[in-house]
Amino acid sequence: MTKDENKNELEKVSFEAAIKELTDIVAKIEQGQISLESSLSQYERGMDLIRHCRGILGQAQKRIEKISEQGELKGQ
Amino acid sequence: MTKKDKKINQSQPDLFSLGAKPPEDKRAAKTEKPAHARAAKAQTPAAKDEPRVYSVRQLNAMVKVALESHLPGFIAVVGELSNFKCHSSGHCYFSLKDDASEIACVMWNSAFRKLKFKPVDGMAVILKGKVDVFLASGKYQFYAESIEPQGTGALQLAFEQMVKKLEAAGYFDPAHKKKLPPFATRIGVITSESGAALHDIADSIFTRWPPARLFLYPVPVQGEGAAGAIAAAIDDVNRRQASLRLDVIIVGRGGGSIEDLWAFNEEVVARAIYNSKIPIISAVGHEVDTTISDLVADARAATPTKAAILAVPDGRDVAQRLDSAGRRLTTDAINRLRMGKGQLDTVLAAALFRNPLGPVLASTQALDEVQDRLASVVRRRVGETLARMGGFYEKIIQIEPHRLLGSKTLALAGLENRMITSLSGLHARCGLKLEQAAGRCDTAVKSALNRAAMELTGGANRLEALNPKSVLGRGYSIVRAKKNGQVVTRPEAVEVGDVIVTEFAGEKSIESRVQGK
Repeated sequence: MTKDENKNELEKVSFEAAIKELTDIVAKIEQGQISLESSLSQYERGMDLIRHCRGILGQAQKRIEKISEQGELKGQ
Repeated sequence: MTKKDKKINQSQPDLFSLGAKPPEDKRAAKTEKPAHARAAKAQTPAAKDEPRVYSVRQLNAMVKVALESHLPGFIAVVGELSNFKCHSSGHCYFSLKDDASEIACVMWNSAFRKLKFKPVDGMAVILKGKVDVFLASGKYQFYAESIEPQGTGALQLAFEQMVKKLEAAGYFDPAHKKKLPPFATRIGVITSESGAALHDIADSIFTRWPPARLFLYPVPVQGEGAAGAIAAAIDDVNRRQASLRLDVIIVGRGGGSIEDLWAFNEEVVARAIYNSKIPIISAVGHEVDTTISDLVADARAATPTKAAILAVPDGRDVAQRLDSAGRRLTTDAINRLRMGKGQLDTVLAAALFRNPLGPVLASTQALDEVQDRLASVVRRRVGETLARMGGFYEKIIQIEPHRLLGSKTLALAGLENRMITSLSGLHARCGLKLEQAAGRCDTAVKSALNRAAMELTGGANRLEALNPKSVLGRGYSIVRAKKNGQVVTRPEAVEVGDVIVTEFAGEKSIESRVQGK
């Protein structure tokens, strides 16, 4: 995957999925069972995931959105 | 009524013969005069002091009047329910009793419908209503407008009954409860739009988890129809989950009395919560209030803050863990690099890398040494041999070999001459013999050859004589059938019309057709 494709794919990853992937990466690198090359690419991926999660954390909307019986998502 | 009276009079004259008057007169008087006149007449004492005579109807009517005037219009009475039965019409009939007495009771459908709990035989209750006389039967009953359990409140009892019922049906089964998602971000809230609960919950959630998105589905949270609206909201949200994509729902309301909270105890709400595919947190009232929805839900929050804690993760904690993960990743990557570099350094430090030609030079050196040794050994050996040979020469010279050789040479020459002489004589004799042998051979071979040639010629002549084709030269011919090349020896071998080939000497032939035989 190119850098751009990586970025686009990352945007769609949910917070929960990102945390899970991050946990797996940290475990893998710490166990030391992977090659030097892999550990470096995994490091990069891990840092991307952390950036993505921090980004989500930073989005504060604080709005209450109303969902009525008509099935419309309306902002208040 | 009149006719009835008349009949009774006729069948039981004794009962009514209280005075001296003849039966006929009484009868006549009764048929002729209306009721009140009769009553008046009855009231006027006869000359002889007779007690009043009432009709049943009158008696019952008087009882009713007396009751109504002497009893309060609305009474409360306590007792134990027994024989509680409801008719298909919805009206309920039962008895209320204590240790000494009982009274027949009735509750109309209109009042019974409002009851939240289920009346059961043996239950101690307080009935409120009035006593009334049923004129036709002369019986009196208690008409209950309300029933309250004695001791506990009606709603409390209803709640306890509902808990037992739903628990038996498995609605509170812990195995059915769903786990709340660890990082919920889209949260549905089903509550009153105007109550304080919504804003308390919203504030708690946004403070704890800023990325949270709240989706409010407004519903009435008390009063008629509230339970139905709440249940419908839960069902609706579940139906639309594909587009709403909620992680968790909070259903609740602020504090209040058991009546205020009652909607969250209704079975319809319990069912909607149980059937919800989306996890539900019940946040109804305060710590002291427990409702059915609290028991059925996947989690229960006694306060809005607790609802937030259950629903969403702690943003600060998550941020810290992300930082720590980042640090660990960086440290691990650096360590991994160091390790790799260390391995490389170790390799580079090996003797081989420092002095790659070393082995070659060492081998060359060894080769040189061997060469030197070889040369010196050879030199030594040659020297020794020469020295030994030198010694032999001395010895040889001492025995004067040249003189020995001289005499021996002569002897050798003599021997040589004799050898030559006899060899040449031998050679001559051999040569002669060979010639002779050759001659004889020759002769024998020649004569053998002649004989063979003659025989061969003879054979050839005989063969030639037998050759059928030589006969042909004398006028004979060979006939073959063209169709199969076979020699025709008899006419029967061919048919009229067949082509035959006649062969003459010299390989010549003619074709002809058989015309007749």
